[in-house]
Amino acid sequence: MKRLIRLGIATLVAAATATGALAAEWTPPGPIKLLIAFRAGGGADTQARLIAEELENRLGWKFIPEQVTGKGGMNMAAALKDMPNDGTVIGMAVTETFGYNMAAAPKSGMTPADFTGLSTTAGFQMGVVALTSKGWKSFDDVVAAAKGGEELRFGAMSPRLADLAYLLGKAQGVEFNIVSVKGGKAVMDGVNAGDLDLGFMAGIQAKGVAAGDLVNLASALSTPLVQTPQAPTFADLGVEFDSDGQFVFVGPAEMPAEARDALAKAIADVVSDENTKAGGLIKNNFGGATVVTGDDLTVLMQNGYESAGKLLDAASE
Amino acid sequence: MGTLDYIWAGVLAVFLGPELFSIFGVPVPVTIVMIFAGFLLGIAVGATPGLAGPIAMAIALPILISIFGYTPDALLPVMGFLIGVMKGATIGGAVPAILFNTPGTPDAYMTTLDGYPMTRKGQAKKALRVAHLSSVSGDTFSDMVLFICAPFLALLVEGYLDLPEKTALLILSLSFIAAVIGGSPAKGLISTGLGLLFAYVATGEDFYPRLSLDSKVLAQGFPLATAILGVLIVGAVFKELTDLWREKRESGALVGTVKDSGDQRLHMAEIRRLMPHIGRSAVIGTAIGALPGIGSTLAATIGYTVGKARYQRTKSPEEPEFGKGAPEGIAATEAANSSVSGANLIPVLSLGIPGNAAAVFLILAADSIGGFNPGPSVFRFTADAVNTELVIAFGLFTAMVVANVLNWTIGGVFMRSMGVMTRIPKQVLLPTVLLLTLTAIYVQETRMDAIWFTLGFGLLGYAMRVVAISPLPFVIAFILGGKLEESARQAFASTGGDPWFLFTHPIAAVFMALSVGVILLTARNNRARAARAST
Repeated sequence: MKRLIRLGIATLVAAATATGALAAEWTPPGPIKLLIAFRAGGGADTQARLIAEELENRLGWKFIPEQVTGKGGMNMAAALKDMPNDGTVIGMAVTETFGYNMAAAPKSGMTPADFTGLSTTAGFQMGVVALTSKGWKSFDDVVAAAKGGEELRFGAMSPRLADLAYLLGKAQGVEFNIVSVKGGKAVMDGVNAGDLDLGFMAGIQAKGVAAGDLVNLASALSTPLVQTPQAPTFADLGVEFDSDGQFVFVGPAEMPAEARDALAKAIADVVSDENTKAGGLIKNNFGGATVVTGDDLTVLMQNGYESAGKLLDAASE
Repeated sequence: MGTLDYIWAGVLAVFLGPELFSIFGVPVPVTIVMIFAGFLLGIAVGATPGLAGPIAMAIALPILISIFGYTPDALLPVMGFLIGVMKGATIGGAVPAILFNTPGTPDAYMTTLDGYPMTRKGQAKKALRVAHLSSVSGDTFSDMVLFICAPFLALLVEGYLDLPEKTALLILSLSFIAAVIGGSPAKGLISTGLGLLFAYVATGEDFYPRLSLDSKVLAQGFPLATAILGVLIVGAVFKELTDLWREKRESGALVGTVKDSGDQRLHMAEIRRLMPHIGRSAVIGTAIGALPGIGSTLAATIGYTVGKARYQRTKSPEEPEFGKGAPEGIAATEAANSSVSGANLIPVLSLGIPGNAAAVFLILAADSIGGFNPGPSVFRFTADAVNTELVIAFGLFTAMVVANVLNWTIGGVFMRSMGVMTRIPKQVLLPTVLLLTLTAIYVQETRMDAIWFTLGFGLLGYAMRVVAISPLPFVIAFILGGKLEESARQAFASTGGDPWFLFTHPIAAVFMALSVGVILLTARNNRARAARAST
């Protein structure tokens, strides 16, 4: 009976997405190699693998996940660049890889034009976070503490965020001791252990903030945080740059349109559905999916690359 | 809720959790079944050279999560399974070390020094009994310390060690290891230096992979597993194979395996003699395990070294020396490396900082499932509202107790049943070990380069054994190298760019002085000993 119901639902879904018929016509010519730019077992890796698993269930495609970590996604990008562009090799990284990181490493010889954007999955909820027990209610309290002579350690998990922390201090007339750590989890560990006074967290802080242990002091985005809308944005604090960014699936340059569209649609469908494991995870950590595909994504990646130059210049002044 | 209510709630969460099936109307809770399954798997993988607890945990975690999902109900079954694997692998790791001279895990390397000679003497079963007794005693002791001290100790340790002190502590560990392992500090430092050199290929903060000679193959650096398994296991296999070949050439025939002979049981009097070694090493292992970031390999090394010094003063002349098949050597090593795992969870549960690879996977499980956020909030005994995380914490403690009970009761039998592998002739076994190791590497790294790296590290390990340089400082330096650079960079940044941060903080300065002191002292002692020997 259950199987009948499931079959019925599947038929209904298939009928409802008749427009998807075009996409469904494309099937990968073989198993799809998924290059993951994140450490095995972490939140981002889990997300990538769950999306692949759901695609296997839904469409019968076969995925071979593979870790290519390091250098802020640049290792993965370098490995993906010269792969066949027929849809049999795709990768997952963050938009920052194709923006700031490529702009900051011209010697790598890569630009966003060497890749085809497929779909974003979720946007960071990047906050400036501290322990509630610090007693800071707002970012002004942090600035007051710094001006009062306290040496504050500011944790950042990428060079771009370190630049932003520097510019934030500059705009507020204070100087932070900016400590680079590996991954958002390490920032949280450092803040919890008292090694860091405050730091960037991209969504990992949600549980701690809800429990009252952590506090979002500012939004490092162009928009307020979903969880703490009253926290000021970087623009409010006098910084003209932000850390907007998403997890993104990409392929090598010049993928055929039908492969690109089919892959993008399939990924977007999975992450937007909160009933899937991948969708549920994204809902929990990032407040819901953020899907950008097609030409919009191409523009997004190109803009990130071009604006990174300005941030690099501003931070090296 | 009071403290006792929390403990009781944790116990109930394990025993009255969702039931899997019932036998004669008695429900069997899923958590207990998972602990049992994990425990059996743990012993098996621990006893298989090339497969270690963390690898089994890494492979099991994604499968378990896909079965149990992302609800808080999944926390205890999944983490119970991982704890079972951790505990099982701890005792299982001694099996290949004793029987085949190939440590299943780096922390069992010291066990080979006395365990394998005992096997050669026909006392394999006895050696395994000693390992089991020491391992389980150390583990249980460590768990009790965890249960009592978790809330207090970690906060205390963290409170006194800031980033400069942590950096200095890592340097002290490396220099201590270089000094005490492998006979001479110079050889130890060479081994350590090589380990750091390989650890620093293609790592660091730059967008360019440093030291990679512009090669794409090296751009991701050397994976941890290739270096550890390559130097420790493949290196040992190569050495064994050449020894075997030489023996065959000299004697004209392959040597057979050694049959068990003599009394294999452990007597009360022997247990009484082992107890001081077990006790001392359990305390050492527990103390080291409570420090975040320093794992069981260092504990085993220190436990063995301290035990050796004490043993040499007290032993009667007819007893075998450490390294020649002394049961005390196995006891000192196994009690120390097993007592790390319980204490390791102190910083994990109270601060979210793992002390070893096994703890990393517990954190990942908690992190991926949700509803349990390891950090200072865990040990908050709230009276008004129920702190569910604290209930989970006590549930995990209960799971550890259950695993310990399994360990005391059926662990020994299961572990010794692995002794059947000793009948396999070496010329069959060594290639099998090699194949298993390479397969394990490929499962983990999924690229051919990793296999070449492993074989390369194997040759390095072989060469080091030939010139009598201990491979252990190499491996420890490789593991700690990344952490050392990271904490040094962070300490530098957090002190506002003070280049003298290692010397301007009193505790850090003391650690640095000790680092230099331990090398000089050992070198002097060695010279004095050499001088005495030559006169």
